[in-house]
Amino acid sequence: MSEGNTPIPVPEDMGTYSGENVQILRDADHIRRRPGVYIGDVNASGLHHLVYELVYNSVDEALAGHCKVIHVQIDIDGSVMVRDDGRGIPVDMHPTAGRPTLEVVMTTVGAGAKFDKNTYRTSAGLHGMGAKAVTALSRWTEAQVRRDGRTYQQRYEKGKAVSEVIDIGAARDTGTQVQFMPDPEIFSDVRFDFDTLENRLRELAFLNKGLSFHLKDLRVNREETYCFMGGVGEYVAYLNRAEDVIHPVIVVDRQIDHIRVEVALQYTRNDDERVRCYANNAYNPVGGTHLAGFRSSLTRTIGAYGEKMNFFKEIKPVGEDYREGVTAIVSIQHPEPQFESQNKIRLLNSDVDGAVQTAMNDVLARYLEENPAEGKRIVTKVLLAAEAREAAAKARKALKDRKSILSGGGLPGKLFDCTSRNPDESELFLVEGDSAGGSAEAGRDRRIQAVLPLRGKPLNVEKARLENLLNNNEIIALISAIGVDIGNEKEYPDVRKGLRYNRVIIMTDADVDGQHIRTLLLTFFYRQMNMLVANGHIFVARPPLYKVVQKKQARYVATREQMTVELLERGLKDTRLVVYPPGGGGDESVIEGDVLKTLSQQTARLDEALVLLERRGIALPTMLARITDKGMPAFKTIAAGIEAWWHTRAEAVAFREETQKKLGRELSAGESIPAQDAFIFQELHEVHDINAIMSTFAGFCFHPTDLVPPASVAGREAVPRLILESGDSRKPLVTLRELVSELRRLGEKGMTITRFKGLGEMDPEELWDTTLDPEHRTLMQVKLDDAAAADEMFRTLMGEKVEPRRDFINKHALLMEEIDYHGA
Amino acid sequence: MGTNPVTRKCPVCNAEMPGPLAEWPALPFCSQKCKTIDLGRWLGERYRMPSGGRTESTESPSDSEE
Repeated sequence: MSEGNTPIPVPEDMGTYSGENVQILRDADHIRRRPGVYIGDVNASGLHHLVYELVYNSVDEALAGHCKVIHVQIDIDGSVMVRDDGRGIPVDMHPTAGRPTLEVVMTTVGAGAKFDKNTYRTSAGLHGMGAKAVTALSRWTEAQVRRDGRTYQQRYEKGKAVSEVIDIGAARDTGTQVQFMPDPEIFSDVRFDFDTLENRLRELAFLNKGLSFHLKDLRVNREETYCFMGGVGEYVAYLNRAEDVIHPVIVVDRQIDHIRVEVALQYTRNDDERVRCYANNAYNPVGGTHLAGFRSSLTRTIGAYGEKMNFFKEIKPVGEDYREGVTAIVSIQHPEPQFESQNKIRLLNSDVDGAVQTAMNDVLARYLEENPAEGKRIVTKVLLAAEAREAAAKARKALKDRKSILSGGGLPGKLFDCTSRNPDESELFLVEGDSAGGSAEAGRDRRIQAVLPLRGKPLNVEKARLENLLNNNEIIALISAIGVDIGNEKEYPDVRKGLRYNRVIIMTDADVDGQHIRTLLLTFFYRQMNMLVANGHIFVARPPLYKVVQKKQARYVATREQMTVELLERGLKDTRLVVYPPGGGGDESVIEGDVLKTLSQQTARLDEALVLLERRGIALPTMLARITDKGMPAFKTIAAGIEAWWHTRAEAVAFREETQKKLGRELSAGESIPAQDAFIFQELHEVHDINAIMSTFAGFCFHPTDLVPPASVAGREAVPRLILESGDSRKPLVTLRELVSELRRLGEKGMTITRFKGLGEMDPEELWDTTLDPEHRTLMQVKLDDAAAADEMFRTLMGEKVEPRRDFINKHALLMEEIDYHGA
Repeated sequence: MGTNPVTRKCPVCNAEMPGPLAEWPALPFCSQKCKTIDLGRWLGERYRMPSGGRTESTESPSDSEE
């Protein structure tokens, strides 16, 4: 018993078990008249209960520290034998009954050592009723006791002894064996079921760690053995064997005064609370004071940890939140357990509540402290449970608000609805900003176009915090206006049910805030109205970026690319580039027509790449100095703080190996590593583009130095090598990079270009012409992938990890600047 | 820039969602519960993105007094 079961210590003078301990209370025959009182019923449950009563007696011997192995065997004739290696029931004469103690124990109601706290500190059985119930309800019963080196036997029929206690031979060990044949006069069916017995014995094996249970069925030659050194911890692992668990099982095993407390618990990703409570090995389906103690400890300990770790700032979990997804076994041993009802559905002892809490609090708190990763997962799980509870309440309220808005006849917020009630022809514009909303309202086709202006800011801006969000009213307005049920899509498989518009069109400004609002809306649709996206109901409007007035004629240009192309086309007309040889000697060459066009396109691409390079903080002249016959180096390394440049990846890798060999230590990648241990590797992708374009320039007699202003020689002003001629104008170019902007400038002559910064800058007519009119507008249909990308972007911007967010914003800033670029 | 394969993760609880899409009826969430939590966050105005710092010139001045 040393390693597995830790029995309640029994003082030496209390450890004797002889005839004196048994007290006599009542007569036996009562059992056969009212079997239900003792074993619940006379069906299968009661029948198997007979076996359990005998097993409990053996388990009690084990709890007292005297038994290690319990055998249960179904015989060929259908009788059942239960045998243990305990001390054996005493066979000497009972001091008051005048009969052998064994006979008294087996036949006399109310007689049993269980009433004597000195013999058994705790007990699982029917308070000394178990063996008597078995003999009374069996056609025959045979008890064998191995004790003091001899084996004794006595036989009973229907609860009455039919033989003396006889010595049938020597015994090598001690123990009790009882075999019985249930009485068919009592039970409707006397066949024992292997699986039923197996389940209960497995459970008992889990609850009594180290105690071994053997079950054998001689009728079918089937056999199982259960013994768990891990006890209740192994039980929880067994219950969770098919679950997605979030931490290892936490086990508590402590003696608190006279109460032994064993608890094992583990959280899963599941939502159910699965807690099984036992008192003295008896399952208590309704729980009781041990369950109360368990729950209090979870709430208190994990709650305190969550508070300390600052997890519960916005949402305060309540008791039920701590229980979601927990699987647990709570098993206590109490010297005097008190239960509600004969079948022990609930434990009543009030001292158990505090004992369980005391035992659990320390262990659980220490576990959380020592395992912060697991602790965080558990607290996060609790927080999600709390959030789900609050979210469900918010959703119910939103649904109610929506109903009241709809039933009130009017439509939510500032929706300007269309007059058509036919969803197939109707469309809803979600317009960012009030002024744009006004233009859209005035410019739309009222019959089929509805407008919902969104502010995209907090209502309360007194803190002037610059944030974009969809406020509560806007979300409710959005849901109400669109009309589909955002509940369980399984329950509402018809995505079009309630849908009030065939097209939902997002219309936002072409700046950072506009893009954020669009991202928020797309993320919302992707998450909450996924089927609308999947079925192609969501669109993004493409308002023009530029207004061009030329000879008093206004027109619109949708994108920066289109604007650039047009300006270049115009600029190239009758324009030539004169190139003088370096140093001034020799004949000049002239580039014009399609050649100049190709050159300008290449130069435009080159300029974009150079801008990227410069934005990295790399000055062009320093890069030019690194040019070899392979072009510019695209790979930069910083090894132990020393910068170097390479033309190929292989060179950089080889350099790393070499450096490590030279230093005799390994260098790591990453930012948080001290410089002397770091190896930073960077590939400048734009350099590949630059090299490729530059190589095409060789045919034009250009040199990389044409990208930077010419150096002044001996105090004399440098002579420009490049002159752009168009009509009367002659414009010297300081560098080749000026070519594109100069061509654009030429192209701009005679035109007034206005860039629309916000939708609100367009008047209603302009908005109709360019963006609303179904005949002329451009709509982009949002595919599931587009929405998923928006969700990804949203997650990155909302995420906790700083590094990806910073990367994203940097990358994003490049894109945004492009959008903000002024065409001229 | 990572080269590891893209694993689908629930936006709320971050649980991995392997296997065919059809096995996840609450897409893109792992469960209806997480979808509800997400809706609660929208309604609770917890999803905020940093502003690009747009000047208020396109908005009417009274906007900031609400």
